[in-house]
Amino acid sequence: MSRKFTPYLFVAPLMIFIAVFTYIPILTSLNLSLRQWNFLTPDMPFVGLRNYQDLAASSEFWNALKVTTLFTVLSVPLRLACALAIASYLVRETLPSRLLRGALFLPAVTSTVSIAVVFSWVFATDYGMVNAGLAALGLGRPQWLQDPHLALFVIIMVNTWKQIGYDVVIYIAGLQAVPQELYDAASVDGGRRLHVFRRVTFPLVMPTTYFLLVISVIEAFQVFTIVNVMTHGGPAGATDMIVNRLYEIGFVLFDIGRGSALAVLLFILLVGLAILKSRIIGRKVHYEA
Amino acid sequence: MKREHPAFTGLALLAGLLFLSPVLYSVWMSFQTADAFYTGTFAFTLANYTRSISEFNFARYLLNSVIVSGLVTVLGITLATLAAFAFARFRFPGGDLLFGATVATLMIPSHISLIPNYLTLAKAGLLDTYAGLILPAISNGFAAFFLRQYIRGIPKALDEAAYMDGATPLQVLWRVIVPLSRPAIASMALYIFITEWNNYIWPLVAVGRQDLYTLQVGLARLYSINPGEGLVDWPLVMAASTITILPVLIGFLLVERHLVRGITMGSVK
Repeated sequence: MSRKFTPYLFVAPLMIFIAVFTYIPILTSLNLSLRQWNFLTPDMPFVGLRNYQDLAASSEFWNALKVTTLFTVLSVPLRLACALAIASYLVRETLPSRLLRGALFLPAVTSTVSIAVVFSWVFATDYGMVNAGLAALGLGRPQWLQDPHLALFVIIMVNTWKQIGYDVVIYIAGLQAVPQELYDAASVDGGRRLHVFRRVTFPLVMPTTYFLLVISVIEAFQVFTIVNVMTHGGPAGATDMIVNRLYEIGFVLFDIGRGSALAVLLFILLVGLAILKSRIIGRKVHYEA
Repeated sequence: MKREHPAFTGLALLAGLLFLSPVLYSVWMSFQTADAFYTGTFAFTLANYTRSISEFNFARYLLNSVIVSGLVTVLGITLATLAAFAFARFRFPGGDLLFGATVATLMIPSHISLIPNYLTLAKAGLLDTYAGLILPAISNGFAAFFLRQYIRGIPKALDEAAYMDGATPLQVLWRVIVPLSRPAIASMALYIFITEWNNYIWPLVAVGRQDLYTLQVGLARLYSINPGEGLVDWPLVMAASTITILPVLIGFLLVERHLVRGITMGSVK
């Protein structure tokens, strides 16, 4: 019966595209990471693990890892703390709360390139919005994007501005899942607001926090557009994150072997984190008895 | 909706405006002459928009973005719906494995495919074509997963009634499942469209021909023509940036609630 083949016909188009553009590329990357090639030469000699050794020996690789880690460690807790604080105010279903949620969420759907361009102006030394304010207060004009000590901080601010609305929306969903009786019980006991937050709200949104923590770390390791538009990884490598390095090695220097080796390392790291994430989501938490 | 203290209302509106002030000011700036901007006065002009379009080709980039995002959305939703229907309604050997492979794509970082996809398209002669921009983006594991969950919630008796009337599986999908899944399909389509509209790294590597730039690449290039301080024509760049943001912004304002609901459903559930 042709009926037997029906489901295969339905899934085939999706499966072909997933195979060609997602699964086969993983194997191709592994293969290329063991070869030396620059797009141009006809042959691509097998060099074993040399690309990986080259990466391990290059200061640029360790710098990119350091910058990415620093970015992650600084930006993720900042985002989550601000988002939880904002969400506990905006959880109420009132008109201003709804409007503010919309305003916060807007950057999450806006083009990252546009955001990077707008914030390049915001932090521009001479005609930028931030320095206009600082100069008016007599605080001087820092060279935000040209100063190695400040540039990563700017990238963190811009990324936080873009992502925070998403975190807030997720936290609000988490907060709304906390049963009202628990708050009522806590306030009957004479709990003060901060106390209630610490003893009731915070522990109960812990699953949401774990979830956001893991996805923000995954995202942090893939930041590219903001860096590519605002700093190109500079000044002096101060904002050179892993994917920016991957782009530079692969598509500016055309070192396919080494670029693929870096892609494989990033892949292993992120899939590990993603498995951790699915473990966390898999563990269902029930508030009600 | 509950009543709110007016002070909180005022504060909330102020906070929202402050938060969005960089973007709001950049739109304002786009209507200003460069001379006025640099001397701190204001003079209204539309010249930044006419220059973006005539001198810097932004009408073409806009058209490219519409074509690419539109086709990615239509093809992506089609592939995802077909597969979701099979995963939701048929038990077949290998079905669980294929579904697992679809869901697993959510964990796979797209950057692993960057170099191989470039090579695949180069070999197929599709770099610097619309096809090269579109094809790698049309398989969407998340959409297939999301729609499968939704379709499983539709009573199977409706399919069976249609089969009794002699419908083929494709007719059941088109006449029964698709109309009933419209809200889920719409929010996934929107999600795919916005993601593709804002996509940057793939169009950056896959296209070298200027007339195939998408808005994102065109804007990044326009800005980096003069990355040196003070040389940037900020009002011009902000007009180009506004052109890049506007279509998605309008769409967002029209369907904000559905979009937020779709995103929370996909992530906390």
